[in-house]
Amino acid sequence: MSSLIIKNLHANVNDVEILKGVNLEVKEGETLCLLGPNGHGKSTLLAVIMGNPHYEVTEGEIYFDGKDVLAMSPDQRSQAGIFLAMQYPAEIPGLNSADFYKAALNSRREKPMTLFQFYSTLQNAYQKMDIPFEMSKRNLNEGFSGGEKKRNEILQMELLQPSIAMLDEIDSGLDVDAMNIVAESIKRAQQRGAGLLVISHYARLLDMIKPTKTAVLINGRIAVEGGPELYEKVDKQGYEWIKAELGINVEKEVDAPMNRVSIGACATRVGIENNDKK
Amino acid sequence: MTRSEKNYSLYVDALPETLTLDVPAGETYRLNIAAFEKLKEKINIVVNVHQDARFLGAFADFTDKPVSFYLTVNLLEDGSECDWHLSCLSKGRGKKYFETSVNHLALHTNALMSNYGIAKDESKMTFTGVSSIEQGAHKAKTRQEAKIIVFDPQADGICSPDLKISDNDVVATHAAVIGRLNQDHLFYLESRGLSEKDAKRLIALGYLKPVEDYFTDKEVIAKMDRVIEEGF
Repeated sequence: MSSLIIKNLHANVNDVEILKGVNLEVKEGETLCLLGPNGHGKSTLLAVIMGNPHYEVTEGEIYFDGKDVLAMSPDQRSQAGIFLAMQYPAEIPGLNSADFYKAALNSRREKPMTLFQFYSTLQNAYQKMDIPFEMSKRNLNEGFSGGEKKRNEILQMELLQPSIAMLDEIDSGLDVDAMNIVAESIKRAQQRGAGLLVISHYARLLDMIKPTKTAVLINGRIAVEGGPELYEKVDKQGYEWIKAELGINVEKEVDAPMNRVSIGACATRVGIENNDKK
Repeated sequence: MTRSEKNYSLYVDALPETLTLDVPAGETYRLNIAAFEKLKEKINIVVNVHQDARFLGAFADFTDKPVSFYLTVNLLEDGSECDWHLSCLSKGRGKKYFETSVNHLALHTNALMSNYGIAKDESKMTFTGVSSIEQGAHKAKTRQEAKIIVFDPQADGICSPDLKISDNDVVATHAAVIGRLNQDHLFYLESRGLSEKDAKRLIALGYLKPVEDYFTDKEVIAKMDRVIEEGF
């Protein structure tokens, strides 16, 4: 049985520790809703599971299907069945969406798909997500609205059929119709037995997809775990009660240093220097 | 108004070291240059654009040859336009230097100078040029873009697009980006199953291929496709 097991995970970004010993498990067919105040490490956890090189794992283990995930590159993790729908999907200039999807689909097959197979798969996915098929000719996420990008992420989940899908605030920027379409897609993933790890700040989506478990991430650790009743409580009462009931002091948003960015400066080499230091 | 359009599609073998083009009033000249194997070491092109005429230029340089390339476009009369796109790949230890300048000398003139490049191996690439708007060239619009991806650790790139503006009723913008491959872009593609090599390749293709839109000869476009694909 596929299960994702996280043990005592510690991770840094720019030498600041964000995850301080996370323990968590998501089994096949389970939907875990991950909650927590902003800046306490939810997105970091998902990014680390997917293998984002921006984060440095300093301690702990991640297993999926018994395999050591931390020893795998991001593409190997994807091919093993892990998927991350990102909060801010990248816009890739000049890269045709359909070309990319073809490469992504073929990366997990021994024999590449025939053109006919590929187009029927692609058309089917666009139909399910109610996205005009013409969008497949556009550059990947380039000039897409926030909602279009989110739907495009779920489109890729439909294409790649992962065994565990992690969705980082997939419901932000979606209108009601799009929310329903995304929820339907998530339900299909649940029905085929996929595990889901969902970050959301709103009960609306959660009510539709009915999480089986809830975990609250505070100060870089899982503060409390429970069933669906826990997300309902957080939705109504926020996080204040945690201090009183569990004696955990909710730290202010962790102030992680941002990436150095130069705005409006021409012909600078900030990007290169930063990379050289790493 | 109807415009006649003249096409100059040149393989670089036919490109002389110096070339002067005069675009007569009301006409459109298209200059397509594609270099695959050979390239002269020094190339100097001057284009004079007359009233309501357009110069559409595109240069795809996929050779590993060193080059110093100078383009000067003079927008001499009212309503003249220039649209320039360069896509360039440098390999080995090659040094490539491109200077693309435009002079706005009349009213309602419009220019885009767009240079994109990828520097591989130990090569060095320089994009420079001045977009200058002279006094009295009201309502001129000009843009300089220079973007270089430094693909390998030993490669290097320099971008310095300049604007010289002597009139106050104009629109002028410039953009310069030099950097290694965007790590967020790479991670996004890898997280969907593409190997690092394939992800880099797709990003590079996305960078170099758009120049094909400015070419008219289908055979040349097909050859560009092949060369770009083989290069990564």
